[in-house]
Amino acid sequence: MSAFAVLSRPLAASNAPSLLSNVGVIARRELRDAIRSRWFLLYTLAFVVLGLAVSFVSAAGTGGTGLSGFGRTTAGLINLVLLVVPLMALTAGAASIASDRERGMLAYLLAQPVTRAEVVLGKYLGLALSLFASLSLGLGTCAVILAWKGVRTSPSSIVWLAGLSMLLALGMLSLGFLISVLARKASVAVGTAIFVWLSLVFVSDLALMAGAVALRLRIERLFALSCANPLQVFKMWSLHAVDASLDVLGPAGLYATEEYGRWLHAIFAGCMIVWIVVPLAAAALVLSRRSPL
Amino acid sequence: MLTRCLQLRIASAALAASLAAASVMAQPVEHEQPAEPQRSDAAHPIGEIGRLITAAAGGATLTIKAGVYREHLRIDKPLTLVAEGLVVLDGDSSGDIVEITAPDVTFRGFTIRNTGIDLDKENAAIRVLAPRATIEHNTLEDILFGIDLREAPDSRIIGNRIGGKNLDIARRGDGLRLWRSDRTLVERNSIHDGRDAILWYSTGVVVRGNTALDCRYGLHLMFSDDVHIVDNELARNSVGIYLMYSTGVEIVGNRLLRNRGPSGYGIGLKETDRFSVRDNLLIGNRSGVYLDGSPFTAAQPGEFTGNTLAFNDVGFTFLPSAKGNEISGNNFIDNIDQVSVSGRGTLAANAFWKGERGNFWSDYSGYDQNNDGIGDFVHESQTLFENLLDKQPALRLFLFSPAQQAIEFVGRAVPAVRPEAKFTDEVPLMRPVAVRPEMRSSQGDGVPLFGAGVLLTLAGVGVVISIRERSSTISVIPAVRAAGGLA
Repeated sequence: MSAFAVLSRPLAASNAPSLLSNVGVIARRELRDAIRSRWFLLYTLAFVVLGLAVSFVSAAGTGGTGLSGFGRTTAGLINLVLLVVPLMALTAGAASIASDRERGMLAYLLAQPVTRAEVVLGKYLGLALSLFASLSLGLGTCAVILAWKGVRTSPSSIVWLAGLSMLLALGMLSLGFLISVLARKASVAVGTAIFVWLSLVFVSDLALMAGAVALRLRIERLFALSCANPLQVFKMWSLHAVDASLDVLGPAGLYATEEYGRWLHAIFAGCMIVWIVVPLAAAALVLSRRSPL
Repeated sequence: MLTRCLQLRIASAALAASLAAASVMAQPVEHEQPAEPQRSDAAHPIGEIGRLITAAAGGATLTIKAGVYREHLRIDKPLTLVAEGLVVLDGDSSGDIVEITAPDVTFRGFTIRNTGIDLDKENAAIRVLAPRATIEHNTLEDILFGIDLREAPDSRIIGNRIGGKNLDIARRGDGLRLWRSDRTLVERNSIHDGRDAILWYSTGVVVRGNTALDCRYGLHLMFSDDVHIVDNELARNSVGIYLMYSTGVEIVGNRLLRNRGPSGYGIGLKETDRFSVRDNLLIGNRSGVYLDGSPFTAAQPGEFTGNTLAFNDVGFTFLPSAKGNEISGNNFIDNIDQVSVSGRGTLAANAFWKGERGNFWSDYSGYDQNNDGIGDFVHESQTLFENLLDKQPALRLFLFSPAQQAIEFVGRAVPAVRPEAKFTDEVPLMRPVAVRPEMRSSQGDGVPLFGAGVLLTLAGVGVVISIRERSSTISVIPAVRAAGGLA
């Protein structure tokens, strides 16, 4: 009984406004703080600039032949998202509750007639909205530049990419929240987040590659294992959505297409939802059981 | 059994009647099934057109009036058959439909549909068994084999539209097949949903301006020498053009797009000799060009020039047996793997330049200080990850990931693990070779992408602005505000 009962028990008097309005207020607060913060500005700027660089380079790569297609244009953007978005989301999530706790803000918030779940959800939504703003600014500008430079990718691909990046950001934000709730200090939380980022971006893929070669992993295993990494899920999903085929990814991609076909969207969506919901729920659970100070 | 047969008869008769009625409404011409069939083909009674053919003298021109004719023809004298208006020959889902057994037959403007689906008997819409046939501007629908030439040299196959049956690829027939039919002209035909278009043992054939969509082999040559393949478009087939054991073939100005079957070559050359591949556009294929044992002898280098290979999974695939090719003046644009060697071996026996002219590589990182259009450094392909992929294809799963970049960075930074250069282009071009404007696809305009970009940007800006405007009003939790503030 438990934790969820505890979470949903209102701390305020019986005439307290609905859960949603409390969450909304906290979310707006968080969003305002995020947008005013230098980190957000820096990340957004970095994302836009890098996105523009990728767009320009890939448009220049076709050498003005007027050709376009699925090449390094989309691949470059996917790569950029894989690098930058998890970093943004993980550190933003990790910093949120831990730094509030350090500044005494968390105690202040919890002294208000709100539940801890409302605080977590509100802060999560606020940060998610700020990430959404940042991502759509970045990818939107890229799309405009690409269109202007004569790249003729269908608009659905950029919309898919933006949507899936957002899902990736949500998952990473959840993970960041979990780190944030677990860590004692904000610096530790951010450090852990960067370590996790490094693991997800580089270490796990490299380890999987080495494992695949050394242990002669069968391709179905390889595919299943890479579905455990949200970054790989994002990548495969984007390729599947943009190119309608995973066969660029060689035997394992071909296997996935042949074996799962139209279920791939559902499989990838399932993986992403797990990565969004589970860490966030865990974070709320941990926060509700621990002393906020 | 008998009753079933009868039912079928009745059903087909009813269908025939209704079709005939429809044609009568459109055109006041009536066609009846002959009451007493004369023998022509054991399987099929002779029909109205058949009677005209029987009655005609050699060299005559028969003009067939519009309507639906449910009959199978055998043209056994040199006639010219011309359809006037929409003349439909319906094969009633059985056997071949038109068989030409006399030389110098012209067959123009018919719509042929509904062959049988018997792969053993190779049921064809038009089968030609004699030289110098002219098959022009016919529309073939729902047919197993389309136009099948057997020992029909000097024929002309022009402007036909050939649409296969909606069957699994293994159960389809060939849209076009030439067997021992030298010097035939195949021009401006379009084939879709067929199996293969095949040229076997046919020398001096010209294949020009045709399209093949959603087939297995867009064009497949075996033992066919001196064939010219010019200005065709082969898209979404399993394989675009595949040449085997043929000599003296020219492949010029073709568009090979998204041929992505299990092998998925744009152009594949197996043990082919004295070939020239020029000015083709190869986009989005699994492998743009695939070379296996070509050129077969050292008589003449294989020539690849002026081609644009873009966005293919692999630009050029070499089997180690491929030696003596000269690859110059081509564009290699954003292929995931620009050049790949299958298995072990190097490309040392092939030249990536001719004279002072190399190729344009979208991943070339050098510069051109003296402005002669040639990069000042050689272009060497030595990426560690590409090398890994050539040996361990399963690792393609990690394409486009930052881990891939990490590996490539290590490959560049640490000499100990730097792979041997796969190939070297001594004189890489700084600018791409021009692509003829008419070769480019109609790629639409950038407005939708632009619009999507603007909308996305506005959404981001909207979030920022909305929060700025309201920022003064949200300092207090509503429950607290309701209770009279924090005080």
